[in-house]
Formats: sequence, C-alpha cells, structure tokens
Amino acid sequence: MRNKTVLVIFFLAALAVVATLALAEPSWAGKLEEAIAQTPVGTGPGMIHPDMPKGFMGIPGAPHHFFLFYILWGIWVGWIFSSVGAFGGIMAGVGHISVFGLSDYGRSFRQTNPALGKLITDSIRTSNQYLVGLSALISSFTYYRMGRLVLPLGLCLAVGGILAGYLVPLLTVGKMAVSLYVGFFGIIVFAVAFVLFYETTPKGQEKKKAAKAAAKAFEEAHIKKSTQVSAEHAKGVQVTHWGLSKIAFTFYGQEFSFNPIWPLLGGFVINGISAFIGVGGGFLYVPFLTSVAGLPMFIVAGTSALAVLVGMVVNIFNMMVMRQVPVDFILISTELIGIAIGSVLGPVTSKKIPDIWLKRIFVVLAVYVGIGYLTKGFMGHSIFPGM
Amino acid sequence: MVLSSFQADMEMQPYLLLDPYLIWFFRLTGQAWLNFLLGTLVVAVLALLVGELTSFLASFLVRRHFQEVAGEAKKYQELSMEALKTGDRPAYEAANKLANDAFSKSFFMQLALSATFFWPIFFFLGWMQYRFFELEFPIPFTGYSLGYIGVFILVYIPVYILFKQVKHKLPYFIGIKRLLDIYAQPLGALTQVPAGKPVGDPGGQGSLLP
Repeated sequence: MRNKTVLVIFFLAALAVVATLALAEPSWAGKLEEAIAQTPVGTGPGMIHPDMPKGFMGIPGAPHHFFLFYILWGIWVGWIFSSVGAFGGIMAGVGHISVFGLSDYGRSFRQTNPALGKLITDSIRTSNQYLVGLSALISSFTYYRMGRLVLPLGLCLAVGGILAGYLVPLLTVGKMAVSLYVGFFGIIVFAVAFVLFYETTPKGQEKKKAAKAAAKAFEEAHIKKSTQVSAEHAKGVQVTHWGLSKIAFTFYGQEFSFNPIWPLLGGFVINGISAFIGVGGGFLYVPFLTSVAGLPMFIVAGTSALAVLVGMVVNIFNMMVMRQVPVDFILISTELIGIAIGSVLGPVTSKKIPDIWLKRIFVVLAVYVGIGYLTKGFMGHSIFPGM
Repeated sequence: MVLSSFQADMEMQPYLLLDPYLIWFFRLTGQAWLNFLLGTLVVAVLALLVGELTSFLASFLVRRHFQEVAGEAKKYQELSMEALKTGDRPAYEAANKLANDAFSKSFFMQLALSATFFWPIFFFLGWMQYRFFELEFPIPFTGYSLGYIGVFILVYIPVYILFKQVKHKLPYFIGIKRLLDIYAQPLGALTQVPAGKPVGDPGGQGSLLP
C-alpha cells in the first residue's frame, strides 16, 4: 500500500513537471528586478547604483560579507541548537536582521522605495524559515515515522496550521516594513527569554527535581515487578468520542480528552508565528500538547510532527512558490554549512558547560536582543548598540 | 542573467568551477524544456548524494551524544508507559515531563543535524539562481508561474522518494545503514511499547537519517 502511494505521488509529480515545461513558454519576470528598477539611481541611502558591487540577493550596493562570516554565524546557530535548543532560531534571525545589516539596509528604502524595503523584509522572514523551519521538517518527519498519531488532534493542529500558513503570507507579504518586523521579532525574543529564565529559577528547577524524584521513586518501587499487558493496553490509541466541544481517546487504559478548539487555535498561533517571524513553531507544539491534553511523549512526538510537516510545507510553498519571495541561496547555503558544523560541535562542548549556565547566558542575550529590537522596531532606534 | 555578471568574489569561485560541468547537462538535447528537466534532474541527484554523504558523516561523529540524549528520552518514556499501565497518574506525569524535556533536546539536535543534509540543496539552488533566475514557466489554466525553484522541488521530491527505496540496496549505503542502525537503536526503541509491539514504522529500527 505504501509503495503504491509512493509510486502514485512520483508519477503525479513527474507528470506535473513534464506538462508544465512542455506546454508552457518561459516568460521573464522578477519582483526583485521590478523593485530595483523603481529605486532612484545613486550611491546615497535608499538608492541603488548599477555599478556598485552586488550584495544580498544580487542587489547592487546591498550588504555583502565574506562567505566565511556567514559560516561562522551558522556555526554559532548550530552550536546553540545542539546545546540548548530553541534559542538557535532566534540567533539565526538576529544574524539576518542585525549582524549582516539587512534590516538597516531595508529601512534605508522607506522614503525612496518602500516596496523594496518590504521585499527585503519578506526575504529575511523566508530566509529565517528556510534556515530553521526546513531543518525542523527532517527531524519532524523522523519522529512522525516513529510515533503514534492521535488523528483528531493531529487534524485539528494541521487545519489550524494550514489556515495560518495561508492567511499570514496573504496578509503580510509585501506589506510589512522592516521596523515592524523587527519590533515583533523582539516580542518573540522576550517570550523565549521568559521561558528560558523560568527554567533557571529555583521554582523552575524545583519542578524538574520533583519530577525526577517522583520518576525515580516509581522506578524503584516497580523495578522488579513486570506489569501484565492487558488487551486494553495492547489496543494503543482508541478514539472513543468525537464532538465539537470534546474529543476523547484511551491509551493504556487511561482516558485523555481535549476541546478541539484549543489545538485548532494552537496550530493557528504556532504556525502563524512561524510564518510571520520565520522562527519558532516546532518546539512550541510539544509543550502545548503536553499541557492541553497531558499526552504521553511518544504520541506527542508523532502528532506534533504531523503539524510541523504540514505547516512548513504550506508556509514555504506559499512564500516561495505562490508569493515568489526572493531569497539569497548563497547566504542560506553558507549558513547551513555553518549550522552543520555547529551541530557536531555542540555535543562536544555540552559535557563541559552545565546546561543551566548556558541558559543563563542566553537569557541575558535574549533580554539584550529583545529590548534592542523592541526599541528599534517601535521607537525607530535601538537603545543598545549593535542591534 | 548570464555568467558574465558573476562577481569575481571568493564565494563565486566554486560556482565558476562547477558551471561548465553543470551547464553541460542542460544542453543535452535540442528541446529547451527537456534540457531544463534533465539538467535539473542531475542537479537534484547531486544535491541528494552530497547531502546523504555529509549527513552520514555528521551523524557518525555525534552518534554517542545522540545515543545518550535519545536513551534518556527512551528511559523516561518507558517509565511513563509503566506508570500508565499501573494507573499511577502522578508518576506518569512526572516521567512524561522528563521524557518531553529529553525529547525536545533530541529534536533540536536533529534539527541542527538536518542542515548537513540540506546545505547542498541550497548550494545548487544558488548556482541555478544565477543561471536561471529570470526563467518562469506559466502553469496552464492558472495565473501562476513556476520558476527554477518550483521545478527543482518537483524534481527533487520524486528523486528523493525513489532514492530512499533503493538506497539500502546500493553497495556503499548498505554499510552505512548497518552502522547507523546500530547507533540508532535507542531512537528505534522509542517506537516500541513495553509489550514488545512495534508501532509507527514497523519495518525497521529508527535511524538518525530521514
């Protein structure tokens, strides 16, 4: 059955490609080139001179850095991903916004050609998404293959995610100035800072210690006992009730239930953030599903993976193929090389640096970045240098 | 956009070196659309093969750390299942929380490792960007058009699916699979409920690679 599905998909994809190429005449277009053509010619801020060296997205005079710089930043991002986790996506965004100077460059066009500035904003968002979201696709697919899926939960998340993946680009592509984007990015950074900070507080630490103690106590009490697997246990996930206000299922003899509106909203908000900012999303599903329905981890892995998969496909298809947002592939490929290297370095250093101190450093960094971007975005200039 | 508009910057050197070889595959027949399709197919296959190689290397280098992280998730997941079976809800919630924390860690590790698979795709798309940036194919009966990226994606997906089916029958990849299966056992064990009944992907053990 599975092979048949694969063959059908393969055949349809091949047919679509052949038909499109055989029947269509190539035509010339370019959102970017149109935008460049409408920009005043010159070497001052907000101007483009065709004789200037090409930089970001091939725009003459755009920021341009030695490729090793992109790789180094990518190493930093990859190292954070494989050491701490979520904060890596934020750093990927910081690189595009501040370190490579793209947001300041986009802002320089607000008087002369706002459309180009907004195009640069969209490119930054899409670049973030490629860097972070596409990578989440692979790990999500792995867990989706492995995990058990709660179909109604996955469907609700996916529907919410698809809606957001369609609506957010529709409402924002070509319409968002760099300043506004940077301001909202700052808000997300603060949210991540808050979560990281909580985990380093005595209360946050106490919760984890208590969980470990409870788990250890249970393990010691039951270590010699082997529980008989009843017929009920062997059934796995069984959906017992479908309703507009409640969906219930049993798993291992325990009943779980949830109101479908929550995963629908959750999928919408989480994928909406991912589509809007370009980072975040995947890592939010797991804690969200845990708190909404108290689900076992290996069900959460598969169910949230489905939502991430669907959300990412919709977001990227919408931004890249339908909205034709241009991106700089050299920038992304060199950053990915860096992230790849960082992903290998993270495990090497993780044993030498305690987790809690890493989180504390990133809390400070997140607060600095968050305040910097909030003030830059909504007040016009950052109160902290380097933002 | 033609080759002469390339900057003589260092980052363009790999493209300048590869360009004569890659463009050859786009000039094999007399039909423009067929040339583009064949050339894109070759580029997609190259991106896939290089990605497979680098992701294997990276997975091999971090296998021990990955085993530890995945092992912790497995341990607490099994404990949470045991707690569920005995009906001990507080113990289940405690073990489940720890399993989720460990899972998040392994999720982000995999996320970073995914870059080792994806970077060639963007590397080759970068070359296609300079060669075929302005190329567009109107999609019949719609107001939309497909650029080089859309064609690449449509070609890459079936190539990937096909490769996945035959990958482990190819000489080099048989050895890789054996090696990765050994180290991916904790991840694969996450598919097993304590009764020994496999769920999810019953065909095999988990793998660090997709």
